[in-house]
Amino acid sequence: MSDLDRQIEQLKKCEPLKESEVKALCLKAMEILVEESNVQRVDAPVTICGDIHGQFYDMKELFKVGGDCPKTNYLFLGDFVDRGFYSVETFLLLLALKVRYPDRITLIRGNHESRQITQVYGFYDECLRKYGSVNVWRYCTDIFDYLSLSALIENKIFSVHGGLSPAISTLDQIRTIDRKQEVPHDGAMCDLLWSDPEDIVDGWGLSPRGAGFLFGGSVVTSFNHSNNIDYICRAHQLVMEGYKWMFNSQIVTVWSAPNYCYRCGNVAAILELDENLNKQFRVFDAAPQESRGTPAKKPAPDYFL
Amino acid sequence: MGAQEKSQANANSMQRVKVYRLNDDGKWDDQGTGHVTVDYLERSEELGLFVIDEDDNETILLHRISPDDIYRKQEDTIISWRDPEYSTELALSFQETTGCSYIWDNICNVQRNLNFNSLNSETFHSMNSELRELPAVELSTLPLILKILTESGIADQMRLTELILNDQEFFRKLMDLFRICEDLENIDNLHMIFKIVKGIILLNSPQIFEKIFGDELIMDIIGSLEYDPEVPHVQHHRKFLKEHVVFKEAIPIKDPLVLSKIHQTYRVGYLKDVVLARVLDESTVANLNTIIHGNNAIVVSLLKDDSTFIQELFARLRSPTTSAESKKNLVYFLHEFCSLSKSLQMVQQLRLFRDLMNEGIFDIITDALQSQDKKLVLTGTDILILFLNQDPNLLRTFVVRQEGVSLLGLLVKGMITDFGDDMHCQFLEILRSLLDSYTLSGAQRDTIIEIFYEKHLGQLIEVITASCPPKGIAQSIGESGGTESTKSEILSNICELLCFCVLHHPYRIKCNFLLNNVMDKVLLLTQRREKYLVVATVRFVRTILSRHDEHLINHIVKNNLLKPIVDVFVANGNRYNLLNSAVLELFEYIRKENLKALLIYIVDSFWNQLANFEYLASMQSFKVKYEQCLETSGIKSNVNSVDQRKRIDERAPEKEEEDYFNEDSDEEDTASASQTQRAQAQPVSSNGVAASYAALSPRSGLVDYDDDEDDEDYRPPPRKHAETSEEEEGLEPLRLKRKLSSSNEKEPELVVKKQRLGKNSKSRDSVFAALCSTLSQLPTKKTASSMQIIPRTADGNKGSGEENQPEESVNTRNSDNSSSSDEENHNREKESVASRNCSDCLHSSSDNGQLSGEDCPLIAPKSSPEMAVNGS
Repeated sequence: MSDLDRQIEQLKKCEPLKESEVKALCLKAMEILVEESNVQRVDAPVTICGDIHGQFYDMKELFKVGGDCPKTNYLFLGDFVDRGFYSVETFLLLLALKVRYPDRITLIRGNHESRQITQVYGFYDECLRKYGSVNVWRYCTDIFDYLSLSALIENKIFSVHGGLSPAISTLDQIRTIDRKQEVPHDGAMCDLLWSDPEDIVDGWGLSPRGAGFLFGGSVVTSFNHSNNIDYICRAHQLVMEGYKWMFNSQIVTVWSAPNYCYRCGNVAAILELDENLNKQFRVFDAAPQESRGTPAKKPAPDYFL
Repeated sequence: MGAQEKSQANANSMQRVKVYRLNDDGKWDDQGTGHVTVDYLERSEELGLFVIDEDDNETILLHRISPDDIYRKQEDTIISWRDPEYSTELALSFQETTGCSYIWDNICNVQRNLNFNSLNSETFHSMNSELRELPAVELSTLPLILKILTESGIADQMRLTELILNDQEFFRKLMDLFRICEDLENIDNLHMIFKIVKGIILLNSPQIFEKIFGDELIMDIIGSLEYDPEVPHVQHHRKFLKEHVVFKEAIPIKDPLVLSKIHQTYRVGYLKDVVLARVLDESTVANLNTIIHGNNAIVVSLLKDDSTFIQELFARLRSPTTSAESKKNLVYFLHEFCSLSKSLQMVQQLRLFRDLMNEGIFDIITDALQSQDKKLVLTGTDILILFLNQDPNLLRTFVVRQEGVSLLGLLVKGMITDFGDDMHCQFLEILRSLLDSYTLSGAQRDTIIEIFYEKHLGQLIEVITASCPPKGIAQSIGESGGTESTKSEILSNICELLCFCVLHHPYRIKCNFLLNNVMDKVLLLTQRREKYLVVATVRFVRTILSRHDEHLINHIVKNNLLKPIVDVFVANGNRYNLLNSAVLELFEYIRKENLKALLIYIVDSFWNQLANFEYLASMQSFKVKYEQCLETSGIKSNVNSVDQRKRIDERAPEKEEEDYFNEDSDEEDTASASQTQRAQAQPVSSNGVAASYAALSPRSGLVDYDDDEDDEDYRPPPRKHAETSEEEEGLEPLRLKRKLSSSNEKEPELVVKKQRLGKNSKSRDSVFAALCSTLSQLPTKKTASSMQIIPRTADGNKGSGEENQPEESVNTRNSDNSSSSDEENHNREKESVASRNCSDCLHSSSDNGQLSGEDCPLIAPKSSPEMAVNGS
């Protein structure tokens, strides 16, 4: 069994890797991710997953429902970290799978894959708590910069974490973004990760999130038309039923963190596409209490103070 | 029935009060008699005192209970306060002392909860509830106690807390029962006790915590929490704490209070992070953190004020007889000590760090950094980071001292040392922090920057050249082994630091880059096999372009420096990867910023290679821009004129540099000018300056600055001016500005010299030369004026972020992390492009944002965007 396979097994038990292993993993991941496109092409069949937010045991439920990687081909739409208790284990497991099976799992960037956001919403603190220093956070956030910004499934389904941008009318325009940077405060790259579709907006509206935009049905119609795609698949917003169609089935939100923040009471969903792009949503609940191990985190066993 | 009625009646008489109000004459007006209750104010989650008239049921008094200390209890029957809403004194006079103390306790409880922010929306059962006392703690009453705990509303919880606290024996008895049940392996009752203890902890009462986390009880409490009925296996927390946890003492601590707090802190942390991690709600976690935080503060203050302790610590650290092993432990201890000092108040922490500095902590770290033990080295860097987060000037003060210089060298060395599996990104972070030109402090930082450029920049560049020898010298890079062995991580850190330098020290970098061919050397990295290094090199060039510096751009054109970039782009072919995107973005930038010299240079030199990419929209636009560019210049785009143009373009910068070197020899030696290069430059010299510029005059500047404002130090005049005079006046505004900026600094000679040069020699070249030579000695300080003009929005951000409590925002936390200072810079600086890594910077001036560089400072990064509640 290779080191990598062993690490994957360890991560599946929700045990984090050593700092040195994280470093090696990140360097390997960098070499793989640097070869990916801003609009990464993905072949069907594929299973699309939305936000995970460090809910490790719920992600294990996801794999139970959707099948293991590499047997199932996965596309994750970002927001792997923050909020939940196990951002470190969640992200490292996905990254290890990416390094092990680069063609069977695609990870794109969410707005939480950012230095600024993770300092507020938990990933930074979790790294500090679990490793005693923020080095792991530094390496992981460096990797975030390399993550692709969107995916295109069989030229027909555009997938992105947040939504559209007024600066982007064709997929080709995404190509000239040097994505290796912290998520900016505005501009195309920011919008792709932050925007939301909104019923009551006609065209573009200001986003209450303070970054990205709200966009209405007409924007989606013209985007889909000019890029010759069937629909847009995105995540980024909690939907109680796990998924939600909008604008006459031109855009769908997929949400994969059941009982979000361990208290929202929502179900989660993943979207399975077969080789003919037939859709099947699979809805699942949070992992039962018994299946959650006690937090693997033990504080350092020795202390001066 | 009877009993209940009686208790009703009792409650009534207990609650009976008269309400008084102090009038303007200083007398108490009787407002009426009624019954007082504590209840929710209408449509709010806040609690208030209500007095309802006993005769007509009118509300006599409605008072929101304030978290402030405004209430006074007098003579056992009166509660009075100064009411902020009525802006006068109010008083309740109780019929019974029990009623008075009951309401008093309730007020105190509400205040406590307000202060710990733990009110939730549970239904408030008014104090008419039946809860009078707790049953005696016995096996048979456990179910009842559990029922009371789990079914009580918030008001009952306050009462319950009080009852538990009043019963001195409660926990002792409960823990006795626990031990008995454990001996008997009575799992059902152990589960019950688990639930009770959990419920009591969730009451979230600081007084209860104080009791149960005391030395006598805490291990039993943790023991009782091993029996979680929802977890299939019994946990072994006590075993872990007793057998696996090691308390290390680098220097023996004698004070029993300190010792007790140290252990308590560890155990409470363990309880919070391990035992109850999934059970606790946020407010309870917050209270536990408060305990830990408070303990840390006590421990650190007691130790720091114990002068014998600190002296012994440093004496041992310095003593030659102390073993390496125990020195190592002492450094680890120092690290924990410094890191816990975050719990002190800012002022105290700063004072402590100053004291530690005076005791010689930086000498200790300098030693540690020279150790063979990598863990020790990294611990040393972690301590430095703690200091930098607190106040970068402490470390700067040390580094500029004679004995401190070696520390800077060690940090640079650390950055280029292979740490194997260990993470060592700290070195880069420390160097960035030391070299940060955006922080306000002055002289020391400038000295450090000077030392860095003088001694260490070359070192970094050498690592690059050694890792990728120029083509032709080492024929097979792969086989030569040694050359490629430099860890790519180190090279990428160097690249990142160089980008940082380009943004922070534009002038120094300019002189250095022009004189030492630094760019050429960095571009060797494009030969590396690791694609992320190649992309990092592209980003380095892109960062230089973002400076809009004419001389650097000329240098690029003249030395054909984009060739390696174009080569790797072409070699990458049609693969749509990060390299492809990064180079396309570079071209887009050149096009959008209308950097004519580069447009023309690229198309003229590389179009046969690039034509293959014309299927890309951005390449088409690039070509179109090129053609427009030729048209506007009034020159037809036939091959000959292009070639001629090219020759002129190439000639001009060459000329400038020649003259620069000539001029320069009269100046003081610049730190960076190397003798060899000067010697090389010498032979090609002294052609008519005017002639060469006359030839150029139709197009004068090579770079179009029409919409370029973001290079705040260097401002060529508007292009409308007569072309010829532009050459002469070009640096006028700059000179004035520098004069302004340097008014705070003591460097009159330099200013004089600049003026002299400006007047006497009308040649732009000489001004440039003077500029370079002075600047290489001058601190590249931010101009005072730009500091004032740009509002310091960082503080505003922070404030509004806290006020609004945004569910989520892109606002950075002002944490102990470097990025926070970056954020401030970002706001403060005109080139709002500063940030934790060079790539972060690109966006603000790049085409991603629809802002031109000019807009950046005005629009400034969004300060505190908020996010929808359901957001993710």
